[in-house]
Amino acid sequence: MKSLQVFVFTLILAFAASSFAAEESYQFDDPAQQALFLELTQELRCPMCQNQNIADSDAMIAHDLRRKVYELLNQGYSRSEVVEYMKTRYGDFVSYQPPVTPLTVWLWVLPVLFVLMAAFWVFIQRKKQSQEFDEEALAKAESILEKDK
Amino acid sequence: MKKVAVFLIPLVLFMLLAVFLFSGLFSDPRQRDSSVVGKPAPAFELPDLMQPEITYTQDIFKGEVTLLNVWGVWCVTCAVELPYLTDLSQQGVKIVGLYYDQDTDPDFGIKSIPAIQQEVVAKLSKLGNPYSFNVFDVKRDYSLDLGVTGAPETFVIDKNGVIRMHHIGDINPRVWEGKVGPLYSELIAQ
Repeated sequence: MKSLQVFVFTLILAFAASSFAAEESYQFDDPAQQALFLELTQELRCPMCQNQNIADSDAMIAHDLRRKVYELLNQGYSRSEVVEYMKTRYGDFVSYQPPVTPLTVWLWVLPVLFVLMAAFWVFIQRKKQSQEFDEEALAKAESILEKDK
Repeated sequence: MKKVAVFLIPLVLFMLLAVFLFSGLFSDPRQRDSSVVGKPAPAFELPDLMQPEITYTQDIFKGEVTLLNVWGVWCVTCAVELPYLTDLSQQGVKIVGLYYDQDTDPDFGIKSIPAIQQEVVAKLSKLGNPYSFNVFDVKRDYSLDLGVTGAPETFVIDKNGVIRMHHIGDINPRVWEGKVGPLYSELIAQ
């Protein structure tokens, strides 16, 4: 019984996925261009519905941007030229790939800095601990030795 | 000294994080710098909505300060701002409409132009007509060039055809007095 339920559910899921894919399709003659189209529509962000890429979104602006990407690729635009085209109109916001600027460079620098500082701190703690431990143990050992005499 | 630091450093870090996140609660994610501001209006060649035989180009912005208002009859907020825009136009503000239709899909047929005109006339006669004329953005290409994300949006364009402001959302008395109006009077005075 349970396995039947799982089977039916899987079937529904499979159909849902295929209907989504068939809703709107832009065909290219060149498979490399098709792949580039998919990649670009996933990297470009919908300006209206802010947390979706244009491949995902059903807003009219996303439809328009997809159509534009298709047109531009057919006109022979390269990947970076398409992204540039969108950025001159919608700003850096439109790409999920942030550019490196004095403001955004912290996105890369901060995690590395954090790891380095943490490693440094652990290193210092270890060193201190081992020193403290040594002295204490030494004192203890000596006192025991004293008693045994 | 060390004990104080152990207590203070996490506290300061926490406070900074709290201030950062708290200010985030009140920031409007839609508010961002438009990339067309400060540049001349992009080139275009589009028909008049009511008389498609007339063709407009970016030269319509030359010589007069213009508000370019992006709208459509399907847009609820646009209907809300129409009466106020009509007031403004009666005070002498030049408002040009950039009309685009939602049902017109460039890939799959076009809603007939008479049908669109009919809708527009009905809407404007009901709520007021602020527009000197309407440019019909047939394929929504010009909206894309302007970085339009939806409707309503308004561009303030100076006498030289340079875009000076891109306002996302409706124009109401508060927005006009606080944001758009001052720039408009400044540009008029130039």
